[in-house]
Amino acid sequence: MGLADGLSAFLEEQWGEPVEVSGLAASSAGARRANISFDANGRGLVATIMPTAAIQLNRISAEAEVRILARARGVPVPEIIGWSEDDKWVGGPFFVSERVEGETVPRQVLRLVDKEGIGERVAHQLGVAMAQLHTIRPDDAPADLLDLGPGNPAEMALKALSVSMKNLLEPRPTLTLANRWLTERLPDAPAQHALVHTDIRNGNLIVGADGLRAILDWEGARRSGDPMEDAAWVALRMWRFRNDDREIGGFAGVEPFAEGYGSRFDMERFRWWKVYGTFKWAIGLAGQAGQFLDGSFRNIVMAASGRRVVEMEWDLLMLMGRDG
Amino acid sequence: MKYRPDDAELLAAIAELLEDQVMAAVPPALQHQVRVAANLARIMERGHALEPDANERAESALAYLTGSDGDLAEQVRVLNERIEEGSFSHPAVWDALVGICRDDLAVAKPGYDAWEGE
Repeated sequence: MGLADGLSAFLEEQWGEPVEVSGLAASSAGARRANISFDANGRGLVATIMPTAAIQLNRISAEAEVRILARARGVPVPEIIGWSEDDKWVGGPFFVSERVEGETVPRQVLRLVDKEGIGERVAHQLGVAMAQLHTIRPDDAPADLLDLGPGNPAEMALKALSVSMKNLLEPRPTLTLANRWLTERLPDAPAQHALVHTDIRNGNLIVGADGLRAILDWEGARRSGDPMEDAAWVALRMWRFRNDDREIGGFAGVEPFAEGYGSRFDMERFRWWKVYGTFKWAIGLAGQAGQFLDGSFRNIVMAASGRRVVEMEWDLLMLMGRDG
Repeated sequence: MKYRPDDAELLAAIAELLEDQVMAAVPPALQHQVRVAANLARIMERGHALEPDANERAESALAYLTGSDGDLAEQVRVLNERIEEGSFSHPAVWDALVGICRDDLAVAKPGYDAWEGE
């Protein structure tokens, strides 16, 4: 069965009426999964397809349920039309969602935001959306969502990274310093654990002339985390695309974002998670270089990652500051 | 024996070939890898010019910091141990690492250190 036939057969079963699928186009080539834009009976839709269930983070069913839950809490998320983990429709697990028009490619998002003069609005909207998301308690999350367990999220996250750091090929004093900084300033468990998205950033957003329209890619959502983990991730320098002085996604400074988030915004935790996120990215890049060197992934992009660790080291030094 | 073109000049030639001709000739799926390869050739070209002095600066900064007189790899190992043990002054280590990082960035990503904020 071809892709168009598979999607129309699936939607016919969902909708109980004949469905004509047309205008299939790959809308973005994610590294892990395909996003196919198409029309069905006059509706603009997107199919998100995993090539194989073996490489999923969250199962498609859990991701679909998280999207439905977040949308019900007022987070802008494209409406889910249906999902299936049966390979018979399109060759792998997938879900279908409504197509939301707007920009998703970071530099094009920033161009639009500059042209419309809506940087502060988008940052504020991100704060509001994230606060809505963090009203979801772990107990309300889908049963099989990824989970680190009930402990202190910061402690568990740092422990996992410290193990990865020990496996690096050579010592990097800046990373050792960051690890120590993070250990000495480890925050307590948050007063309220919340469901976290873990990858809200410029590049996983749909933005239109009126501002933020949708938050995408819920594949890495976790049942229980520190809300400031999400807040810090969107603020990392690598998602600013050269607008370095606009901390939130290259859109605006942290003020409109924090104002949108509300009274639960915690600057001290925010700062800890920024150092953590940058440290995590540095370890990830060094790990990619390691995979190149040990032969498990001989690709030049992986090799080049080894020379990008120093960017994260610079960011870490600036985040920690001379006075610690 | 020194040859011309030297290593840096050859790396520049490889980068130019990748940037000016190969990029346009390969299918889109390969273009990112070609761009990365060209950038790596540029990194090596800059490293050739800058690394000898940078390594000397790093070695003397770390020798001052650690008080030991091994080579650069040894200095890095000693500093790393001190940080792990907690027997170090954060501002002093920070100053040394910022200097080393600036030198590394001049090779790997010139201009990245212009932003000194959070």
